[in-house]
Amino acid sequence: MLAVKATGCARTELQKDPTVTTQDASHSQANSLTKMQTGLNVSSPEPMTTTRTVNRQTQGSPSDHLTFGHNVSVPGPDLTTQEFKQETKEHVSNATFVEYEILLPGVSGTSTEKNITLDRATRIELSCRLDNKYSHLKSLQVTWKWGNETLRHINKTENSWGIQLRIWDNSQLGSYSCTLKGEEEMHAVFHLQVPKIEGKEKPIVSYEGDTAVMICKSYGYTPTAWTWYMTNGSEQVAINDSLLADKYVINRVSANVTHLKILKLTKEDDGIYWCEAGFELGKSKGKLKLKVLSLMVPLKPFLAIVAEVIVLVTVVFLYEIYSKKKEKCAADEKEFDQIEQLKSEESNGLENSSTRHRKI
Amino acid sequence: MPPLANAGQAPGPPDGGWGWAVVCGAFVSIGFAYAFPKGLAIFFKEIQDFFGTSYSEVAWVSSIMLATTYGADGKKRNQDLSIRDQARCRHPSLKVLSAAPQLPGPISSILVNRYGSRPVVIFGGLLCGIGMVSAAFCTSILQLYICVGFITGFGLALNLQPSVIIIGKYFLKRRPIANGLAMAGSPVMLCTLAPLNQFLFDNFGWRGSFLILGAILLHCCVAGALFRPIGAPTPPVKPQVTGKGKDALKEEVTEDAMEMGSPTKVPMEDKVEEEGGKACCEKINQYLDFSLFKHRGFLIYLIGNVLMFLGFFAPIVFLAPYAKHIGIDEYSAAFLLSILAIVDMIARPTTGIIANSKWVRPQIQYFFSFSIAFNGTCHLLCPLASGYTGLVIYAIFFGLAFGMVCAMLFETLMDLVGAARFTSAVGLVTIAECCTILLGPPIGGTLIDTFGDYKYMFIKCGAVMVLAGTFLFIMNYYNYRMLAKEEKERKAKEENPKPVRTENEGRNSWNKETTRDGPELEPLSKEQEGLKEEVNGINEV
Repeated sequence: MLAVKATGCARTELQKDPTVTTQDASHSQANSLTKMQTGLNVSSPEPMTTTRTVNRQTQGSPSDHLTFGHNVSVPGPDLTTQEFKQETKEHVSNATFVEYEILLPGVSGTSTEKNITLDRATRIELSCRLDNKYSHLKSLQVTWKWGNETLRHINKTENSWGIQLRIWDNSQLGSYSCTLKGEEEMHAVFHLQVPKIEGKEKPIVSYEGDTAVMICKSYGYTPTAWTWYMTNGSEQVAINDSLLADKYVINRVSANVTHLKILKLTKEDDGIYWCEAGFELGKSKGKLKLKVLSLMVPLKPFLAIVAEVIVLVTVVFLYEIYSKKKEKCAADEKEFDQIEQLKSEESNGLENSSTRHRKI
Repeated sequence: MPPLANAGQAPGPPDGGWGWAVVCGAFVSIGFAYAFPKGLAIFFKEIQDFFGTSYSEVAWVSSIMLATTYGADGKKRNQDLSIRDQARCRHPSLKVLSAAPQLPGPISSILVNRYGSRPVVIFGGLLCGIGMVSAAFCTSILQLYICVGFITGFGLALNLQPSVIIIGKYFLKRRPIANGLAMAGSPVMLCTLAPLNQFLFDNFGWRGSFLILGAILLHCCVAGALFRPIGAPTPPVKPQVTGKGKDALKEEVTEDAMEMGSPTKVPMEDKVEEEGGKACCEKINQYLDFSLFKHRGFLIYLIGNVLMFLGFFAPIVFLAPYAKHIGIDEYSAAFLLSILAIVDMIARPTTGIIANSKWVRPQIQYFFSFSIAFNGTCHLLCPLASGYTGLVIYAIFFGLAFGMVCAMLFETLMDLVGAARFTSAVGLVTIAECCTILLGPPIGGTLIDTFGDYKYMFIKCGAVMVLAGTFLFIMNYYNYRMLAKEEKERKAKEENPKPVRTENEGRNSWNKETTRDGPELEPLSKEQEGLKEEVNGINEV
């Protein structure tokens, strides 16, 4: 059985819903937040369906976790520098702290991988927990790896193994994996990444001489800076809006949204553009395509349709005139016949009356 | 003289022949009028980004267009529209526009009374085309309001009413079927316009799309060309009418009695209008028959419908946001609206056929009331629907009920007031209904915002519609009884050897031909009572 549990307030990209806030984590089915506290006998098990959200701001008063820190030494490729930085970071009052856990073994069909998005310096704890059903297994060997490096200093509780990390640099992001070797081998991976920026898949269509507005949004995370690039051949050239103020206007509409306005479009402006969001822990790009058309392009279908309409209207009116003529001819004939009939009746009547007279 | 004699016993509306071509034209015309404003919503996101406005400001474009077109449902948004956009559709812009002038309704009625359906529709089509083409070159959101909102909206309004009116002129026995078929144009056009708009937008951007859409709207002119004025312009058979407007008005009423939708009627009316109407209000009375407000059936219809529209369109607006709220993804939620449109498409002609059957036609008002109450019950049961399957079932029933009501919307009005006064009736009904039409979704939106739950909105809509249906049912029962009583009184008076007989006999013989259409004649007989002497004097041909 696999249950992917997440604690803490960092978003998981498995949900892929930009508006998911910490409270909405309850939407995913097997989400339950449990706070694992190693070294402290706090009952943690909670029913699978309840969720507990952890507030980012109030989280992480250093004192709570200093004890934690003491029980464990922080693993990492460069232990000494990390420990040093740990000292300094511990005193930062608004450091965020998040915990992530993967339950092993995996359920068939669900991957034992987790994407964790980080945009700023964070203290993070990753743990792999063994399902209670398998707690009878003895002699389990657990290894944590970062890329190819093996991490030591694993926190171990009854049936969970975790590592604590401090991420403050882009170089520390990557994939952290834990492997449980016993009778069977169980594997779980945590991917630590910067937030992704989505561009637009469909091209933005605009016309020569017109203006084009391209928008990039960051969902949930606020970038420190935005940069726009245009593709020149195979190179990406940064757009300097102060230099070409009458051509490009870059506007940071809100903290998470940036606009690039291109004025007086020409065919050369056609191509791929990139918007880059800079975060504390790295940068991320989104791709947008711009298509510049000439006015003749929509004009052709327009004229074709107008011609078709004119033809149809003419046909309808001509048919009407034709059928009216037919009716008129038929009506004239009918009238003619009627008049003939009347005449013959009159003449008959006259004959009759004269006959009658005669008879009488 | 043969022609004159024939005029008194001229055949009723064709009920076929060229009438079916007219139905096709009406199908296109009504389809564009209802579906086009909804289809525009696809472009809003891009326009919003382009002009840097808020979503509400962009939604004004659609709202203005809807306010200027009749019955415009500020409600049913396009299927492809993203859920976020749909949720925002309940924005303040709709509330503000409830005060917007509802001129086009009566204006189209006046124009149709004066010029006939065909020129009005062709002019409307041209106006739509011009509006959209000029919108393609707009440089500010205000210009868009004018081009898309007012000009195109007005053009569509000029399309909608004449189409409905001319069906009443071409059909009598098969009118419910014709109405059902023509009204089916709305969902069909919507289903066509939605992917078409998306395709145009992907390939040409919003400017190019507006240009091409302007050309597509010109097809309304083709529809208008099909609206052949019925009856050749024969010389005025009716005796000279005095210059007084009132007599002219009564003349019209007399003509109703003589021949429902007679081929000679249209030129008559024009003649009458040209000759009469010196005083201003009498003149207005000719173009827009305010005496309808004394008409019992009309008042019942008006009150019932005004009540109904409070809850008619809100569920469609909020169906997709509600689906998303309970956890369904965007595309499945949009698919719900597609299901609704498809069921709607089938329901409308079917309802027309059912309404035309000899069991239902005489009691068509009851059928209408039933369908409104059925609609309301669907909404009341909606909060019980859980999960996607429940919502699909709700969408199917809702589509069915929606189609039933829409198909009979104009048919019942025609049935109550008769084809001749229908033109004015539709114009007057427009003004009265538009306020509630525009208020409905914002009220629903306020309920949702206040309680944070969609179910109160559904309950409110359901309750309002069940109430409206019950009201109509009871009042129409009363109306039928009154009409039957008046019919009896009229027949009793027939025993008297008064000159009124000739006119009555003529009416009776025609009565026998179309016994099914009993209720139709009833409202006319009422006015007859009051005008008998003049009628007699005038009708002794």
